[in-house]
Amino acid sequence: MGLYVQLLVDGLFLGGLYTLAAIGISLSYGVIRIINFAHGEFVMLGSYAAFWLATLYKLDPLTSLPLVVLGGGVAGYLLFRWVIRHVLEAPHLNQILLTFGISLVLQNLAVVLWTGDLRSATSVVSYAAAELGPVLLTFSRLIAFVVAVLLVVALLGWLKWSELGRATRAVAQNQQAALLMGIPIRFIYALSFGISAALGAAAGGLLSFLIPLSPWMGFPLVVKAFAIVALGGLGSVMGAIAGAMLLGLSETAVSYVLPGGSGWAEGVSFVFLLGILLLRPRGIYGQALEEQHR
Amino acid sequence: MKRSAGCTATALALAAMVTWPALGQAQEPIRIGAPFELTGRFAAYGTAGKRGVEMAVDAYGKRVLGRPIEVKYVDVQSNAQVTVSAMTELLEQERVDYVIGPITSGVVSWATPPWRQRKPVWLVPGSSSTRNETELGKEKYFFHPYPWDYDYHASLTAMLKHYIGTGKKLAIVYSDGAYGRAHLPHAKEAFAGAGYRIVLEELVREGAADYSPALLKVRQARPDLLLGLVQTADAILLTKQAKSANVGVPYLVGTVYAALNEWQKATGAAGDGWLSVTSYMPNLKRPGNPKYPKLFPSSDDWEKAFRARYNREPEFLDPLNYVAAVMLFMAIDRAGSIEKDKVVAELEKMDEPTFYGRAKYTKSKGGTLHQAFSAMIVMQRQNGKSVVIYPPEVAKGKLITAGP
Repeated sequence: MGLYVQLLVDGLFLGGLYTLAAIGISLSYGVIRIINFAHGEFVMLGSYAAFWLATLYKLDPLTSLPLVVLGGGVAGYLLFRWVIRHVLEAPHLNQILLTFGISLVLQNLAVVLWTGDLRSATSVVSYAAAELGPVLLTFSRLIAFVVAVLLVVALLGWLKWSELGRATRAVAQNQQAALLMGIPIRFIYALSFGISAALGAAAGGLLSFLIPLSPWMGFPLVVKAFAIVALGGLGSVMGAIAGAMLLGLSETAVSYVLPGGSGWAEGVSFVFLLGILLLRPRGIYGQALEEQHR
Repeated sequence: MKRSAGCTATALALAAMVTWPALGQAQEPIRIGAPFELTGRFAAYGTAGKRGVEMAVDAYGKRVLGRPIEVKYVDVQSNAQVTVSAMTELLEQERVDYVIGPITSGVVSWATPPWRQRKPVWLVPGSSSTRNETELGKEKYFFHPYPWDYDYHASLTAMLKHYIGTGKKLAIVYSDGAYGRAHLPHAKEAFAGAGYRIVLEELVREGAADYSPALLKVRQARPDLLLGLVQTADAILLTKQAKSANVGVPYLVGTVYAALNEWQKATGAAGDGWLSVTSYMPNLKRPGNPKYPKLFPSSDDWEKAFRARYNREPEFLDPLNYVAAVMLFMAIDRAGSIEKDKVVAELEKMDEPTFYGRAKYTKSKGGTLHQAFSAMIVMQRQNGKSVVIYPPEVAKGKLITAGP
């Protein structure tokens, strides 16, 4: 029994991190219809920002998280205004090439600025843990999960109850109708891209004390995030959450249950995801999204 | 007078015609390919290799046989496709005479098929995986100045037997890449052979974001020793998670990663207690070679020159690549030619004391024809410092248990 509770706890913790990494991609695709291959680099830059704030100014990565999120948001907003908006009407291939190019530029910039050395920050919660019967709760992952949940809830609340959030949903549902209603869709695009980057940077800030950092850490994360977004249904924020939780839980379950499972977790989980996509080719929430567009 | 001047001119012209090709050859550079992992997940290894070769070229006066040494450094990006194309370009377009690098086992295995096309003399100052030994060890033009994985485990088990005796329980966590899988059978053989009981073998994915499940299994197995057969990035995650999961294992055993500055900085206090094997570490106070004091100075002098140039502490791969490259230059000089068989013969004959150890290529236990520097030392991280604990003749401290 203890094993299954531990499995559930660890799966949820991992799913929380995956949610934060993937939800930004889902938001930017849902609103702007751009597949942002540079999203992983926002995660990477968020990690480095938290690392350097910890190293140079002794700021705990959890304390510096608001700064990292704000910095990521501003950087994303400006990147959209200066670069991305020029390809809004271009074919998808051009958009992909542009974001892929931005990703390479940011990776190489990070190498030039900080070298390729692996780094890792330490938080006050890094090595704290509590044993609740047979279940081990590591505080670093627990707090990362709680922060991820808070940020996702804040995003969902903003989308549901704020005026700008409603405008963002309107643009996601029907751009032409939103434009006719007087919604400044270019501003909404830039805002969504900024929020998407801020969420990526937040994921990075939390990862800075959980996994090793390097200029290339973004790409594997973004590959996983795309799988999550495809599973949940392209452009659906709720779908991204469901996909991330499903992936986190399935990976952890395989790790715990199969002998040598940690080595097989990703492979088996992706086969499982493939099975779901065969049954629901539009992803878990894809159908609902399509109906909304009609 | 006119006739005499004409004769002189003709003689000069003839002399020029005869000596021109030789002069041309004298100026033609000796091309050395240096494919290193300068970026990507193994960048720390490749950049150390490059630094070592750079220092060797300068120490040698940038010339061999009166010809300039031209090193073509290429970044293989720790990537399979880039490695294959970089090696192919060095061998087929640049037509290099010798190759030094890459360093890591996986990258060396990717570089092997293109190397086989022309088979120049190839020095690999790194790569501990015996998969590469099986593939390359019997090759006449392959030189391996670095220990193989069985040397790691022989040193570790000898140290453990020395301090804690035998009969202890061991858990092994190994990665699914070339490194972990190649180390596993040798680790099992060495530890079981030394009288340790293996109670858990747990496979983990390279580059995974969470090792909690594997570490929970380790906690449940209650071993006396945990052996992590993973590479640096995964080792950082394993170390930090082992600390936060409070695995409660008295002895934490790594391979070479705990000797790397990169791992030490990234893990901080979580690294305390981890053991590592290495072929070199700073402040060993080893003597130089009195016959070649400029090429092989004492370890203190070499480290001083290194720090002055790079403003950092040397890693074990910096001096290794330095010594391996200097050995190659000396062999070319002694051969009086760049013809590879003559250079190989000189490398085989070479036997020089250096601050890195005895520079002599011999046959390895696993059958590599040209193997050097197999001896290793064992160190442990104690209170944020690296302390040599084995062999006893160079030990500066004793084995302690990992803290809670």
